[in-house]
Amino acid sequence: MNILSVKNVTYQYEGAKKVVLKNVNAEFSNGKIYTIVGKSGSGKSTLLSLVAGLHVCSSGEIIYKGTNLKDLDRDHYRAKSIGVIFQGFNLLTNATAVENIMLSMSISGNREKNKKECAYDLLEKVGIDRETAGRKVLKMSGGEQQRVGIARALSNNPDIVIADEPTGNLDSDTETAVLNILTSLAHDEGKCVIIATHSKKVTSIADEIWGINDGRLLFVKHS
Amino acid sequence: MYIFVNALKNIGRKKGRNILMGIIILITITVSIVSLCINNTTNSIIDDYKLRFGSEVTIAPDMTKVMSISDILSGEGSKVMPTSPEQYLDFAKSQYLKESVITATTGVAGDGIKAVDEDENSNIMGRAVLSGAGSSVEDDYIMPTMNLNGNQWDEFKEGYRKLMDGGEMPKNDNECIISKELADLNNLEIGDKIKLKSSIVSIENNEQKIKNINVELTITGIFIDATEEYSSPFKISSLNRRNEILTTIDTMINNFGSMMRVNAKYYLKNPSMLKEFETELRAKGLDEYYLVRTDEAGYQKVVGPVEGLRKISLTFMIIVLIFGAVILMVLSSIAIRERKYEIGVLRAMGMKKNKVALGLWIEMLIITAFCLILGFVVGSVVAQPISDMLLAGQIESAKIAAQQGGMMAGIALGGPIEKELIPLEQVDVSVGMDTIIEIAIIALFLASLASIVAIVKVIKYEPIKILMERN
Repeated sequence: MNILSVKNVTYQYEGAKKVVLKNVNAEFSNGKIYTIVGKSGSGKSTLLSLVAGLHVCSSGEIIYKGTNLKDLDRDHYRAKSIGVIFQGFNLLTNATAVENIMLSMSISGNREKNKKECAYDLLEKVGIDRETAGRKVLKMSGGEQQRVGIARALSNNPDIVIADEPTGNLDSDTETAVLNILTSLAHDEGKCVIIATHSKKVTSIADEIWGINDGRLLFVKHS
Repeated sequence: MYIFVNALKNIGRKKGRNILMGIIILITITVSIVSLCINNTTNSIIDDYKLRFGSEVTIAPDMTKVMSISDILSGEGSKVMPTSPEQYLDFAKSQYLKESVITATTGVAGDGIKAVDEDENSNIMGRAVLSGAGSSVEDDYIMPTMNLNGNQWDEFKEGYRKLMDGGEMPKNDNECIISKELADLNNLEIGDKIKLKSSIVSIENNEQKIKNINVELTITGIFIDATEEYSSPFKISSLNRRNEILTTIDTMINNFGSMMRVNAKYYLKNPSMLKEFETELRAKGLDEYYLVRTDEAGYQKVVGPVEGLRKISLTFMIIVLIFGAVILMVLSSIAIRERKYEIGVLRAMGMKKNKVALGLWIEMLIITAFCLILGFVVGSVVAQPISDMLLAGQIESAKIAAQQGGMMAGIALGGPIEKELIPLEQVDVSVGMDTIIEIAIIALFLASLASIVAIVKVIKYEPIKILMERN
């Protein structure tokens, strides 16, 4: 079942001449991993930003569960329906890992009384033990930060998980661990996982591979 | 709730920046507390004195105008119409007055009774004065050895004089009370009658004329007097306060008419009514050579240093507030790079703009509240010594100004003799409710100012733009 549809989406950055995305169409379903591949600057991250509600498309529409994103409260959409794993992590660096997760849970309106325990559980799920979870993000390695980023993306129990180059800064072992988590999210928990990547290893876990070239999104293959 | 908790945690996360902000806010708040304490205390003092000095009206000859009339100097007599006791009483009926006190006094001698300390010296000295004026009527003149005072009850209110048991204050005409010393000297008791006499000297056709007046008064009470017997080094019986015989103002008017010294004090309902009151007095016949005025000089002398203190503290507070605000804005701008990223992350997580702004504001409010408490402690401790120090400087300046002004006053003429007024040398500074409210408003303003740069960024930027800039 389609959870997200991208219909005829075009995007151009404010003041820029170049059209980044041209008439893009795609359908995304629950329980699947989608990878979007393409050269740097091809528009992968922009497409993910549009889907994440961080950008608004110049034309066309993005439909989430039958509703156009333009008609939704985008803050609410980001807080409740989408989990974003950023390439640069984008964590609150002066806060601890567990505080990052708890804050995200609070923003999403999670009414769980013992948020701290939930946060620890989530972090444990991505391989962060309690001791590491109590450390400031700034003092964590890249791999640990990326795991915290994943845990945060899952803290609001979203329908869609978006990951922009989630393994770009990671060593091979950590990359494998992160990919296992993402695979589990889609295949075990039924979430829709959309990943922008250059990595062949990442595309190897995808159920569907899409390519972007010159702003156009093309279906490449099923796994 | 989580916004508050996150704000609280944020303060601990960025200690360096927040301590710096806190120091600036603390200094600004402490200075504001000290200034506001001084300002509010001095304001109430000034208002109180303004009411007192501004509402007490005195009527006295304008000596500058009087002396300018050549007729007086040439000895042809004054053109100034004296104000009669009846007029003084009539003035007291004005609707602009809240209260009036009219007292009268005249010198008298006893007829069959002796004054305390009465001896030949008194009369010799008195006669010398009269002779010095070139009088030829000194034999008919009755030299006053006592004073008959009408309506002078202040010392009883202040507790310096007290009526002895069995006595009563004079209620009817020709009743009086006397001091215990005078009563003992003459074996007088309540119910006894005393005879008094007095001479009035007038000048008609360049000749002195004497008019003698005799009065008989019934003693209704005897009082104990704790005042100083003499307020001057001259031991003349007429200056001895034990020789003051106290009676009603009506007794004075009925017996002495215009031949007595009247002292009238009028208290306006509001100092701003002075002009209307003067217009009414002129309409009731007050001569143009009389001045109707409040004690402006006295007010300046007493309150001047306090007003100076208020101005200094207020100016200092404004300067510190401006500097504090500018420094806070600069610090906020410097800190915004770090804040901007944090704002971007929170917004990307779906936190609404108003909640992010509220979080930033609460953060500053918590810091400011902490500084406010600390500022109140420091401010209330240092306010008094600072106030004393500043006031001492102001009193010194006022003294120098008074010395310079005094030289000019010595040349100038006019007005009643000024009272010996002492400037306020101590202002008890305290933190009142008005100070607390004002400082809370200032603190709120500072907190808002310190977080405004970050709040503007929240409103202005989309989260992805902030994150893209960073990444």
